[in-house]
Amino acid sequence: MTPVIQTEALSKKYRRHLALDDCTITVPAGRIIGLVGPNGAGKSTLLGLVCGMITPTSGSIKVLGHQPADSAEQLARVGFVAQDAPIYTRLSVADHLKLGARMNPKWDAELAERRIRQRGLDLKQKAGSLSGGQRAQLALTLAAAKRGDLLVLDEPVAALDPLARRGFMRDLLDFVDELKVSVILSSHLLGDLEQVADHLIVLANSRVQISGDVSDLLAIHYRLTGSSADTHLLPDGAELIHTEQTRGETSMIVRSPEPVPGGTAVDLEDMTLAYLTRATNPGASISSALMTGAIR
Amino acid sequence: MIWLTWRQFRAQTLAAGGALVLLALYLVYLGNEIRAFYDSRIANCAADACFIARLDLRAEYGDAVLGVGAALIAVPALIGIFWGAPLVTRELEERTDRLAWNQSVTRTRWLAVKLTVIGLASAVLTGLFSLLLTWSASRYDQVIGERFAALSFDSRNIVPIGYGLFAFVLGTVVGMIVRRTIPAMAITLAVFATLQLLVPTMVRQNLMPPVTKTVTVDSSVMNRGVGLNLKQDNTFEIRGYTVPGGWPLEEASPLYKPDGSPYTGDDAKPCLANAGDLADGFACTAAQNLHFEYTYQPANRYWSFQWIELALYVGITALLAGFGFFWLRRRV
Repeated sequence: MTPVIQTEALSKKYRRHLALDDCTITVPAGRIIGLVGPNGAGKSTLLGLVCGMITPTSGSIKVLGHQPADSAEQLARVGFVAQDAPIYTRLSVADHLKLGARMNPKWDAELAERRIRQRGLDLKQKAGSLSGGQRAQLALTLAAAKRGDLLVLDEPVAALDPLARRGFMRDLLDFVDELKVSVILSSHLLGDLEQVADHLIVLANSRVQISGDVSDLLAIHYRLTGSSADTHLLPDGAELIHTEQTRGETSMIVRSPEPVPGGTAVDLEDMTLAYLTRATNPGASISSALMTGAIR
Repeated sequence: MIWLTWRQFRAQTLAAGGALVLLALYLVYLGNEIRAFYDSRIANCAADACFIARLDLRAEYGDAVLGVGAALIAVPALIGIFWGAPLVTRELEERTDRLAWNQSVTRTRWLAVKLTVIGLASAVLTGLFSLLLTWSASRYDQVIGERFAALSFDSRNIVPIGYGLFAFVLGTVVGMIVRRTIPAMAITLAVFATLQLLVPTMVRQNLMPPVTKTVTVDSSVMNRGVGLNLKQDNTFEIRGYTVPGGWPLEEASPLYKPDGSPYTGDDAKPCLANAGDLADGFACTAAQNLHFEYTYQPANRYWSFQWIELALYVGITALLAGFGFFWLRRRV
């Protein structure tokens, strides 16, 4: 089966600023892909490259087996909701649905109208006067009713309050089940993605820190604490990702293809934080609690 | 795509249509006034009355005709500023480019439809305006006859269509490159205004090689309101000679004697001696068999110039549009 996204040494440079550096990833189809990383890590750049809004400086990218945005057919395969869910403020909700119907051959009018009705949006309302949540719903509806094979959502919940975030994500899960699409969505908060993502890409400093199916990632990461936290005991091929001191106790996060003696399972958050900490603050050891607070 | 273009452009179209209707009402009124004036005072007029009627016609309607002409020249600039420049920049500024260019329509198609629909609207607007003014001022133009004058040439017949198309595409492409509305508007205006100044003053006259003919100063020439002007170096030049409906390219031409040497102050003395009588002086000068070189564009080239200029503007517009397609795909 064609991978949803396949990149090879993909880079994007803006003048002197490197927004994405040497990104090589392969994402299989049928996943909900979480793209996490601090602000400015290159998430929007990667998503822009995926939907063809941005052209790479070097390297290659194939989305669903094709160059992004190189034809109307390819554009029809990928639905994109950009950051802040852009909509035409002067057009009404109904105008937006009409726009979608006129500009997308595979438009699913029934789905679009049902969603708009369920979310309680008024068809006659000007899109500029919608609330943040309604706006996000309108933009998502437009992207989804295209009936593409991949939905790209850039920070879809950033503008929403915590309650609306949870609702949006739960709704997205049902929706994805119904549509049978792959989804890639980004957030600077792992918490937003944790419950929905089954594939994770961690971006920091314009580089991919780690990527893979969540279950695979969790299976090769271990936490070592106390006396077992001794690098000499690590098996061959193991890599120390991050060490931290918590109340006098040493704790390490280790990646290893082989089981690590004394190692316990890590959760997604600890693993992600280990990579983010290593990337943004090499050599430093910060307590997990502090780090979580900083990122949250 | 056509629907979206229309939906986004609806308010502007209605505003422009409304303005055009008001203008049409005024121009029909003005045209009828000028026609009435022409029928009562100029058609079948006698020599002196004709002269005065012409002066009256200019005094009465000159400002109105020039004013509307100037407005017609301003319309393409407005099109460039308000239709062209924001076409891409507003999408970028409101970030709706991310919405527009992620429907199942390529950017090339998006731009092609936008340029075609709004370009057509620009051409229709300037074309109708020009048609109305050309009709309205036709009697005036016929009597006053300065068809090649910059303000008149630029605001009659078919060239305004070229300006309208060009200004719109210019605004669009500048917007793509500059990416911000206000600077794009300013640059569009500056470029278009510069071109509208340069083309009539420096470019247009060279579009076809001018005709130079040798004119003998006989009594008919002397009676056409020419002036002989003695220059610092004691030679004469002749001013104010015109060929009906033609476009003089020089204000003054040096006068020569039959042997080809310059006509000097000394040569003119015999004729100035009996300067008491104007007609005698004219006859004396005419008898000296003087000549001068006159460079001009003949009247019958008017339509060639209109077509050449329209073709030039349409050609530049096509090149600009081609560049716009390239730029929108690669750089925006």
